[in-house]
Amino acid sequence: MPEILALLIAPDWVRSLTGERPPNVFWAEYIVWPLIQIVIVLFVVLTVVAYLVYFERKISAFIQARLGPMRVGPWGILQPAADGLKLLLKEDIIPIKADKLVFSIAPIISVVSTLVVLAVIPWGAAWATIANVNIGLLFVLAVSSVSVLGLVLAGWSSNSKYSLLGALRSSAQMVSYEVGMGLSIIGALIFARTLSLSGIVEAQRADGLPYFLFQPLGFLIYLISALGETNRAPFDLPEAESELVAGYHTEYSGFRWALFFMAEYTAMLVTSAVAVTVFLGGWYFPGLDWIKSNWGPNIYVLLSVAAFAGKIAVLIYAYMWFRWTWPRYRYDQLMELGWKWLIPAGLANVVLTGVWYVLALPEAQGGVFGFVKQTAGRYVPTGYGKIYFILTGFIITIPLSWALLATINRRSRDFNLHDQRQLQIKLRSERIKRNEPVAE
Amino acid sequence: MAAVTTTGQKRSIGQIIKRLLLLDLIEGLFLTFKYNVRALYEPRDGGNPNQAIYTEQYPLERPRVSERFRGAPRLNLDPENGSTLCIACDLCALACPVDCIEVGSIRREVRDGEKVNKKKVLTTFIFDTSRCMFCNLCSEACPTDCLELTQSFELAVYHRSGFRWDREMLEKGINYVRYTK
Ligand code: SF4
Ligand code: SF4
Repeated sequence: MPEILALLIAPDWVRSLTGERPPNVFWAEYIVWPLIQIVIVLFVVLTVVAYLVYFERKISAFIQARLGPMRVGPWGILQPAADGLKLLLKEDIIPIKADKLVFSIAPIISVVSTLVVLAVIPWGAAWATIANVNIGLLFVLAVSSVSVLGLVLAGWSSNSKYSLLGALRSSAQMVSYEVGMGLSIIGALIFARTLSLSGIVEAQRADGLPYFLFQPLGFLIYLISALGETNRAPFDLPEAESELVAGYHTEYSGFRWALFFMAEYTAMLVTSAVAVTVFLGGWYFPGLDWIKSNWGPNIYVLLSVAAFAGKIAVLIYAYMWFRWTWPRYRYDQLMELGWKWLIPAGLANVVLTGVWYVLALPEAQGGVFGFVKQTAGRYVPTGYGKIYFILTGFIITIPLSWALLATINRRSRDFNLHDQRQLQIKLRSERIKRNEPVAE
Repeated sequence: MAAVTTTGQKRSIGQIIKRLLLLDLIEGLFLTFKYNVRALYEPRDGGNPNQAIYTEQYPLERPRVSERFRGAPRLNLDPENGSTLCIACDLCALACPVDCIEVGSIRREVRDGEKVNKKKVLTTFIFDTSRCMFCNLCSEACPTDCLELTQSFELAVYHRSGFRWDREMLEKGINYVRYTK
């Protein structure tokens, strides 16, 4: 069974631990090694999530000419531990009129649905990935969208107007942006021709370029919808503190509240990880193959993990940077951006990318230019093909989609409360002039 | 009635391009990024508004108060012999608009070389910092530069009686707990 053996990733010492010989490696491959990986990934990710809060506070402080946490440890480096302790020791309050069962289940749904996704993220090459599922991307999108259920249940069961309004907003927003997010990825899938996340990374490695160059519009839409999907500013309407106190988690305190917070930051990590995997080349960077052959497989895997982490860090910094720079959208603007711009732009991107790809196929396959060659069972763009895809992406797809949408949305773009009021005043004054009855 | 004009009609071609490329958003991003980077390398100088970080970590770093700031009162001593400069003339108490100074004195015979003078001597001095508004009128009235408002601003106490500063506190200053961590 050479194909199955090629998929096995557990290192030799795990196999010697369970005393199994290939091809009978069930325990080593499916129980022991995944458990080790799960423990490591959970530990690392939860620590990183705690420190994301710290970095968010630091970055916001630096942007606002403050210092941020400074008292716990040097430069406040132990602040996450102090915060965690505080949240654990806090009184666990459930409002009297709340639905107790749903109230306590909601944060768990939120956090579990984001943590489950961590299993299929390709953290690095070879043995650094827990599960290489062949529908990985679909799995990520499907499971991470369950977390909206947690928010809705939290808002509903709290029996508070702020929570309910926050939950309503978040469900509408997350469902809307989910669509744009799904559409933005399809363009990249046309190039990768697989849904497996590791497969997408391998495809970018084979094509030689990360897909954000072929898919600038898709990348842009993904980034924006990811902000909306994770309820981050400028789309943080579900918890707009100036309007809704704290949104869906108004009534939560202590550890349940911490679970929501954890879910939010883990979701941020997951969406950045998917963006890195699909658009930025995942754990691969040029020169990694040279490192593998010269420095050995272990350093190769560690460096690939480091590259993945570095790319995620850049995206997460951008998220925080956006949050502390841009003001919040108004709710109708948010919906307009989602439905009238991102989703049609995603559709246009899919269609246009499909057209460019078919045109680039060799003539035998019904194409025109022959910029895509079939090598080793995959379609790989040639040198000209790369330039062709980059140029079509940047020069044709983006301006064309923009012009199309700007024309369609021309009337609605300037919806403006002030203008609307002025219009009403004008109509009313005209009616008064004509001596028509005016509704009071 | 003025015609309803929408923002779309007022826009020039330059503004349209600016909107298309989201220049305003990007400008904001550059500004905040600049602040962030400056905060990382600039030496910190708490309380300086030109610096990237304005914060001063108060118990650790003493805030800089203005030169003409008027804070805690002090009764100055004669630097030569360490006796008080106050001649118990009561002018400060008279000058104070809110009557927060009480000067207690007795008439006593004081030997000055050969001569023996009858003189007013200071016994008690009570200064109520809870009522004082730090207007400095008392200090200006003082003929011997004895009473002075210093730059010290930490006047908080745990009990109301602590606001009544007696002569010893005024001469030696009060003991603050200095936090160093
Ligand atoms: S500063 Fe003004 S209010 Fe305070 S004791 Fe002196 S005169 Fe009175
Ligand atoms: S004015 Fe000066 S010298 Fe006179 S009583 Fe007051 S502090 Fe003493």
